[in-house]
Amino acid sequence: MSVFEGSPIIKVSGLTRRYGDLTALNRASFSVGRGELFGYLGPNGAGKTTTINILCGLLDRHAGEATICGIDVERDPVAVKQRIGLAPEESNLYPELSCRRNLEYLGELYGLSRTARRAKAGELLGLFDLAEKEETPFRALSRGMKRRVTVAAALVHSPEVVFLDEPTAGLDVPSAQGLRALIRDINQAGTTIFLTTHNLVEAQALCDRVLILVKGKVVAEGTTKEIQKRVEKARTLSVEFSGDVAAGLLRSACSAIQSTSCVQGVWHLKVCDTHTALTQVVSFAERENLHILEVSTTAASLEEAFLTILEDAPSSSRGDGV
Amino acid sequence: MSQVIRALFISRKDIESYYGKPPLITWGLLFPAVLMIAVYVKSPGTYLITAPGIIAMTLLFGNTSMAAIVITFEKRSGTLQRLLLAPVTHRTIILGKAASAAAYGIATSLVLTFGLILLLDMPVARPLVLAIGMCLGGATFSLLGITAAAMVREVFEAMTLMNFFRFPILFVSGVFMPVETLPAWVTPLAMVSPLTYVVELLRFGVFGKCYFGAPLIPALAAAAFLVVSWFVAGVAFRRGANR
Repeated sequence: MSVFEGSPIIKVSGLTRRYGDLTALNRASFSVGRGELFGYLGPNGAGKTTTINILCGLLDRHAGEATICGIDVERDPVAVKQRIGLAPEESNLYPELSCRRNLEYLGELYGLSRTARRAKAGELLGLFDLAEKEETPFRALSRGMKRRVTVAAALVHSPEVVFLDEPTAGLDVPSAQGLRALIRDINQAGTTIFLTTHNLVEAQALCDRVLILVKGKVVAEGTTKEIQKRVEKARTLSVEFSGDVAAGLLRSACSAIQSTSCVQGVWHLKVCDTHTALTQVVSFAERENLHILEVSTTAASLEEAFLTILEDAPSSSRGDGV
Repeated sequence: MSQVIRALFISRKDIESYYGKPPLITWGLLFPAVLMIAVYVKSPGTYLITAPGIIAMTLLFGNTSMAAIVITFEKRSGTLQRLLLAPVTHRTIILGKAASAAAYGIATSLVLTFGLILLLDMPVARPLVLAIGMCLGGATFSLLGITAAAMVREVFEAMTLMNFFRFPILFVSGVFMPVETLPAWVTPLAMVSPLTYVVELLRFGVFGKCYFGAPLIPALAAAAFLVVSWFVAGVAFRRGANR
């Protein structure tokens, strides 16, 4: 359930899309609340771009329902497109036009008056720190600047929902951080954001809620805390013993340990159940006449939770990479 | 704001980005001008017979090629997707793209026509009919170019597809020989070619007479081809866009 009040701004139910024998999207259902920053995660080939393309009216669905602002995306695509913006992973602006002309042309297509589109282009160029480059052809910009103009172009008509497909992919650290800050500002100004990213640290930092899609199926949905809680038992246990320990002996004595690694005398044990593992480790230490000098546990990050969910997903639902 | 105004914005942008560039204008004019000069040098007394046909050929090749190149180029660069994301219907996009391609074809044909008038004393008996012929031809051929481009991904594929019908119809539509002088078995083929009606309208515009006697028949036939092309382009574009 969304933590955001009121009716959802995006509602998807049983959405299905096939490409020949391949089912890219398999009865996917979810909803996004108004004003939410929603993360749509999944490995390559999970169906993320297919979902975005259907929601943006670029692709027909084969079954299911999809509405944005209560409007069916297939029955009235023009009305839906007036309310949404998309910044795709690959910039799709006109390379020969200047940044300003690109933004003003899109303003023309979205029905803005001449005064409004000039003002909006100026405002966005200032907001995205592109004022000095306003007359530069789009093709002459750096990758980071192109990403910024592409995101700015999705905002020309002040949409209610913005789809951002891998917005920081390929950017250097300062550019990515700057863009993340802008995304947060845009969301705080009331725009709903639908974000797809492979950067799970980014998703954890930005998103109110995330959904994990694997081979076209929704396998997890909730706040990042809820997703982490789902794999809470799968923690890393760090233990320092008073003497040397053989990895094989430790693993055979503790069935709750999934994998071990030892760095500078500290054992990092990936466990499936923290309580059982800790009990087994203490028993092992007593039996081997060892003292436990230090012990700590680390909660699973969103990235670890994502990987655990992927491992738990049936092989028929697994993608081909992260 | 109406979809027609948005179509005009699309047209204006395309003219700014593509059609207004000097290399394209030169490309559109060079081939028909050289062909016309060659015909004139060979037979100065009879060059006029082929003049309307070569103007129509300029429209056919210029419009189909340019419309197809622009669409396939935009498909590859992703900018067509940008257009599809805007709140415009597929019909609006087709109208905008066809209008700019038609404007380009009509402009190059007009330059050729004025050149023929000024340099080779070509008469213009019915300017209005000549203009109608250029407009109907320009619009129909642009839509055919859009149809071909919507069905393929690469420019060369679009050209190959179009050449299957462009070259054969050149020889059955009265471009190089008036329809009345074509062999009898070719005449039925001429009647199903849209180029025939454009050539005959231009011929009426230049000489005040054509194969059909009055300009109404070729005008109605060319208009019918325009309507059919509009619907075919709509179907092809929708299939290509939402695949």
